[in-house]
Amino acid sequence: MLLEVEDLEVRYGSVPAVRNLGFHVAEGEIVCFIGANGAGKSTTMLALAGVLHPTRGDIRIESRSIVGLAPEDITRLGIALVPEGRRIFGGLTVRENLVVASGLRGGIATQRSMLDLIFELFPILHQRFDSRAGNLSGGEQQQLAIARALLTRPRLLVVDEPSLGLAPKFVELVYQTFGQLRANGMTLLLVEQSMRRALSLADRVYLLKSGSMVLHGKATELAERNDLEHIYFGGVATP
Amino acid sequence: MKRFLGLRMLPAGGLIPLLLLVCVIVHAAGNQLIEGSLTEALVYMVMVVGLSVFVSNSGIISFGHVSFALVGAYASAWQTCCPGLRGVFMPGLPQILLDTNVPVVPAALTAALLATAVAAVAGIAITRLNAVAASIALLSLLFVVKTIYENWTSVTAGQGSLAGLPLYVGRWTALAWATGAIIVAQLYMNSANGLRLRAIREEYAAARAVGIVVWRERMIGLVISAFVFAIGGILFGHYLGTLAVSIYWLDMTFLTLAMLVVGGMRSLTGAVVGTLAVSAVRELLRAVERGFDVWGNTLQIPQGSQEIVLALALLLILVFRPQGIVGDYELGVSPPR
Amino acid sequence: MNAIQLMVDALSLGSQYALVALGIGLIFGVMRMINFAQGDLIMLGAYALVVPTTADVAPPLIGKLPALALIVTIIAIAAGAGILTERFAFRPLRRREADGATLLISSFAVGYLLQSIVLFVHTGRPKSVSIFADLTRQMEIGGVRVAMIDVVTICVTVLLLLAMLVFLRWLRWGIEIRAATEDFTMARILGVRADAVIALAFAIAGALAGILSLLYVAKTGVLDFRMGVPLAIAGFVGTVIGGMGSLVGAALGGLFLGVASSLLQALLPEVLRPGRDAFLYGLVIFVLLVRPRGLFAGRNVGERT
Repeated sequence: MLLEVEDLEVRYGSVPAVRNLGFHVAEGEIVCFIGANGAGKSTTMLALAGVLHPTRGDIRIESRSIVGLAPEDITRLGIALVPEGRRIFGGLTVRENLVVASGLRGGIATQRSMLDLIFELFPILHQRFDSRAGNLSGGEQQQLAIARALLTRPRLLVVDEPSLGLAPKFVELVYQTFGQLRANGMTLLLVEQSMRRALSLADRVYLLKSGSMVLHGKATELAERNDLEHIYFGGVATP
Repeated sequence: MKRFLGLRMLPAGGLIPLLLLVCVIVHAAGNQLIEGSLTEALVYMVMVVGLSVFVSNSGIISFGHVSFALVGAYASAWQTCCPGLRGVFMPGLPQILLDTNVPVVPAALTAALLATAVAAVAGIAITRLNAVAASIALLSLLFVVKTIYENWTSVTAGQGSLAGLPLYVGRWTALAWATGAIIVAQLYMNSANGLRLRAIREEYAAARAVGIVVWRERMIGLVISAFVFAIGGILFGHYLGTLAVSIYWLDMTFLTLAMLVVGGMRSLTGAVVGTLAVSAVRELLRAVERGFDVWGNTLQIPQGSQEIVLALALLLILVFRPQGIVGDYELGVSPPR
Repeated sequence: MNAIQLMVDALSLGSQYALVALGIGLIFGVMRMINFAQGDLIMLGAYALVVPTTADVAPPLIGKLPALALIVTIIAIAAGAGILTERFAFRPLRRREADGATLLISSFAVGYLLQSIVLFVHTGRPKSVSIFADLTRQMEIGGVRVAMIDVVTICVTVLLLLAMLVFLRWLRWGIEIRAATEDFTMARILGVRADAVIALAFAIAGALAGILSLLYVAKTGVLDFRMGVPLAIAGFVGTVIGGMGSLVGAALGGLFLGVASSLLQALLPEVLRPGRDAFLYGLVIFVLLVRPRGLFAGRNVGERT
């Protein structure tokens, strides 16, 4: 099992944003977290990346606990987070953004093949290689953010809200990219607000509400339920 | 006696008797040196309590309060210093100041008011800045005031010393002023303004949402704080008998800040305890610097160790116990849930 | 005073302030802390030139070495001292997630500690020291005589700034520092080691302090345990004016401050001169109010309340 999370609790001050959360991601899967704003999805992802510290519970990569490790060490172990809002370095060029990410695995010179893959997936990055990243459009920045994460050679790619604020054509591109990455053996954990999208791409889905998980299962099975919207927006899940 | 005339009187109600007790004990012990240190400690306490009025309630670190002490001390000197010779040292003073000798207490009060005016003017800018920028601005204020006073030789004797200030600060005088400072700090803490300033410190967004005007509360806190701190500076000048701009500069800034941080940045009890603790340590170090006999050997540390120990102590506190000796605790007040 | 002399003086002072501001800006960028101790590193580097002694006259220690060895050693000492302050004072605070206020006080405390140690070892009496004596000569530029040390200061600073530019744009470590300055957490998520980046920033800032100590002592010839304070103040003011969080801004801010200071000194009528410093320090408050990101702009400084 690539990633296991058990009884996770993460607080902001004294308020728990995530409570009793448990889930897992197996190698090669695409798992999706869905839920409305404030459900705790991003909080969970930040905890995975080591940016937030859980007050309770455990997070394990291949049975090795990573709670308390620094973000840079967690990335070394193979979890790469593309955070909500992308957070690219706007003052640096596209090239420089990639250089920063390449440092983990030996520098940009040694990453020739990964760079080729990146340019194949996102040709625009090749074109805008020396442009200031802050001048890119939302969709282009999202591609850059994913490219950066790829350069850290992750085993698990975590993407928080990949479609947020993007024009439809970019959303298509990004989701196609996920499909391609999975075909190449990458394991993906995605956070989405759109249930439709999540169900169309993921193997398994977890539905979060107010910091706890209320529903989970295979995407194919959940797609057949007719009470999903009801649960998502306010009702209680009957198993 | 938790309430007196309907006002909450703790922790002041506990601290003041404590100080009184300390003074009485020292008086009974009759040791000249310790008496001197205690007086100095009480003078510093006025300053540190004044500092805490602003820092504890607002959460904003101030590196600039010593500028208020500087302004106050010289303003008091203008009214009381070296009768007959005042015009020699400070020829630029207006004639009315050269001719009048104001009694020390009114002189101190008016001098502190001048310092408060400076704080108010600077506060117009400072209270509108966020916490970090405000700290930086307060530091800049210190530089500005110091530079002005250093160069305004006609009224400050410039970089030289000004001697001849009336020496009216004895132990009991210092205690009286310290008591007054603690009472003022207590009253402010209890007041609606103090409460609002603490609300801003704790929950900035929520405080604004309920209609608290941030800059006004900070201004009120700053101005009261400046007044008390200035009194401390004035007392210091009259305790030493001489003034120099260099006295009111980095050493005093560091010392008063250290006293507050060591005791506990967030409470009035912290201010008092910190001052006593640091003063005690300084006194101890001074004694060891002078050297004393232990089992037939002389124990002595070289001159200048005091400052090193103080700086190290402050760093250790910041790393291992940043909340200070007392933390959030206020004497006699149960902690908030 | 001739225009060329004036410009050389102004640029020389501006260069000094630019170097200090750059050091302060570097550390502020990665740690969001104004390192008041930066000036005291300069002081430390200067005092390393002489034998530690309480005597009035201090014989040269490292000051005795041939030029190249002297320069390298002093830079190494200052950089080393900077790294030590990071390792033993600031890193423990970072580990405990100290807030901005605590960091500010602690940098003040570190500076005070360094001053106290030097005061202890050397006493408070200023000492004289002579290095690179040749530089006190004058040279001719455009028919005007100027002090060689001033010209050297300007040239060294220009070279250093260029080197910094190359480092920050072309070397991975430099790019990592810029990334960390912009968004420290994101840099860590991408694998950049927090401890390494911060230690590097301190090392570079320390090296800059070392270089400045040599230039400063070559020009003034005097050691005083408080000599770092006016430089730190200038660097701090320059950083605020130029833009905290922007390295270029910090250097420009320091340059601007030095040039303005120098020109005002020369051009203001006698009576207004004392107001010069007050005016410049007061500028800080004005800039903080009006353009909190600094005159030369900078990235998002991430201020809260």
